[in-house]
Amino acid sequence: MMSQPLVLGIETSCDETAVGIVRGRNLLANVISSSVEEHARFGGVVPEIASRAHLEAMHSVLNRALAEAKVSLADIDAFGVTAGPGLIGALLVGVSSASGLTLALNKPLYGVNHLSAHLAVDALNSEHHLNPAIGLLVSGGHSSILKVSHYASDVKVIGSTLDDAAGEAFDKIARILKLDFPGGPAIDRVAKEGDAQAIDFPRGLTSGSDHLYDFSFSGLKTAVSRYLQKVPAAKVADVAASFQEAVVDVLISKALAAAKSEGMESLVIAGGVAANSRLRVVAAERCAKAGIELRIPPMELCTDNGAMVAALTSLAVSSGVHASSLGLAAESATGLDQVIWA
Amino acid sequence: MSTVLAIDTSTTRTTVALVQDGNVLLALHHDDPIAHGEILPRLVSQLLEVENSIDEVVIGMGPGPFTGLRVGIVFGQSFAFARNIPWRGICSLDSMAAQVNEPDFIIAVDARRKEFFWAQYIDGVRVTEPNVALRQVLERLTSPIYKEGDLYPSAQFMPAVSGDVREPIYVRRPDAYPIPDGVTFRPMNALDLITAVALEKSIYNGEGPWSIEQFREELAGAGRYYLVAEKAGVVVGYCGAMLTGDVTDILTITVDEKYRRYGIGREFLKRLIDWSRNKKVEAIMLEVRIGNDAAQPLYTSNGFYPLNTRKDYYGPGLSALVMRKDL
Repeated sequence: MMSQPLVLGIETSCDETAVGIVRGRNLLANVISSSVEEHARFGGVVPEIASRAHLEAMHSVLNRALAEAKVSLADIDAFGVTAGPGLIGALLVGVSSASGLTLALNKPLYGVNHLSAHLAVDALNSEHHLNPAIGLLVSGGHSSILKVSHYASDVKVIGSTLDDAAGEAFDKIARILKLDFPGGPAIDRVAKEGDAQAIDFPRGLTSGSDHLYDFSFSGLKTAVSRYLQKVPAAKVADVAASFQEAVVDVLISKALAAAKSEGMESLVIAGGVAANSRLRVVAAERCAKAGIELRIPPMELCTDNGAMVAALTSLAVSSGVHASSLGLAAESATGLDQVIWA
Repeated sequence: MSTVLAIDTSTTRTTVALVQDGNVLLALHHDDPIAHGEILPRLVSQLLEVENSIDEVVIGMGPGPFTGLRVGIVFGQSFAFARNIPWRGICSLDSMAAQVNEPDFIIAVDARRKEFFWAQYIDGVRVTEPNVALRQVLERLTSPIYKEGDLYPSAQFMPAVSGDVREPIYVRRPDAYPIPDGVTFRPMNALDLITAVALEKSIYNGEGPWSIEQFREELAGAGRYYLVAEKAGVVVGYCGAMLTGDVTDILTITVDEKYRRYGIGREFLKRLIDWSRNKKVEAIMLEVRIGNDAAQPLYTSNGFYPLNTRKDYYGPGLSALVMRKDL
């Protein structure tokens, strides 16, 4: 078991080609090449365009990461790669590149779960004890509540969205309010001028005992459009602030309810929506009140990146988890049955 | 002594070989159309047990189905990158051609959607760039055709093939088109019906245009999905589909004549297909008037195939072709 392994992580599950390098829990390099602009004019990520871009960018991103970390490939102790969930053609570029590298160098390869990696990135650049925690993963692609018993071996999804991801809801409402894309930062900005209590928008799936930890944002979206039809002169800032309040309220309430019932003393929030300033304020207030430790990784590590893959792989190596077998399969739709591929 | 590792994943066959100064040390292959990513590392690992010292990687760059093709390319490039040795790309069709013992022929591999990637060889030399064509088009050529299945790319022949292709040979562009400029898409509502009925009358005159009552019934019906396209606040087209059991049925895709050829119809079709996928149905059906030469290629290129015809469906002498796309 190595306590300070030098680990290289590759992430290609969506539209970012990313490589991160860590030594133990110290981040040495985090390089990202994004094809997001190529997708903008198509109104969403086009899988074939993303896959082509990964192949084009892969080796220059690898080179830049190695240069930034001031290490050579031969020094790397173990490699990690996102094996799922994600776009299958995109995942396969990262997995096949990692297979080629590790066979050439005779080094171990860890196929890792993308969702777990988002939470494990919290291990970087700090020595705090990695307590079992509830993870709240909120981004354009995911809205999940995870029960993290052990970061590298035992993570379970206990709640997820039934329709839109939280980030998608922000994008859609921003479009209705004629704000910029991406919608998250735009709504965050405008909402600062508005009254969050002005309109009482519905909190989805908060009544009853079904779907305790699941989310639904489609009803909220409809409520916002109906409200705007009914009150065309509504103040955009008030609508944005009230919408944002409804989303944040549901996310934090459910995450804290999960922490309470699972007996967890920490909450980790990750994913692009963790950048939302209101989410951070409400999370801090309510966690303090509930006596829960709140952890939010730095913003640049909240969106898709390779450092999170390296961080999870490093934790796996140092806790004695076996490397994945030769020819590990990329899986587009996978739950959290496996944190590290067998 | 120089040892070459050759890799090709451009067809359903994953093929690898070790070739030392022209002698084949070991060649392995495995047939599976969707598991190149799992098979390739296992095969290469067996080769490395025979000889671990590699001087060059030769990679089949396609053409072939993209997802599998990229597995071999990025694997080979990353292997060469890690070992700090050169890689050389070749046209995958050429390693099939190297197995043919006659001067003039065509090599064709499956490109899905009833098409083939192909190239023509004269005196054993490739005289065309790799291209894509329907089977019927290829069959009009007089040379004998060697198809995937008769032959496969074979890694042991690859080191002898000349050329150095640095980019994947995709031939086809990604199936993505920009959303037409300034056009927005949204669900249809009652306020759109007056424009919709006017468009119906101008476009389907004599083919049974829908009345406002028919539209109202449609919008109120269960399992319906209707969208409009709007440019500068004016409705310029609409589409609709309904869910019936295990299939969805596209009921209309209509675009104002002044706004055709801007990709609005294509975007409508894409959204109806996405909606159908979300409904987890087996297939999508539609009817298109025989003679509607503008619409049919759009459906064909999106994977719809003709099922049968309905005589006089749109009125006397106006028959419909029923098309289906399996999901």
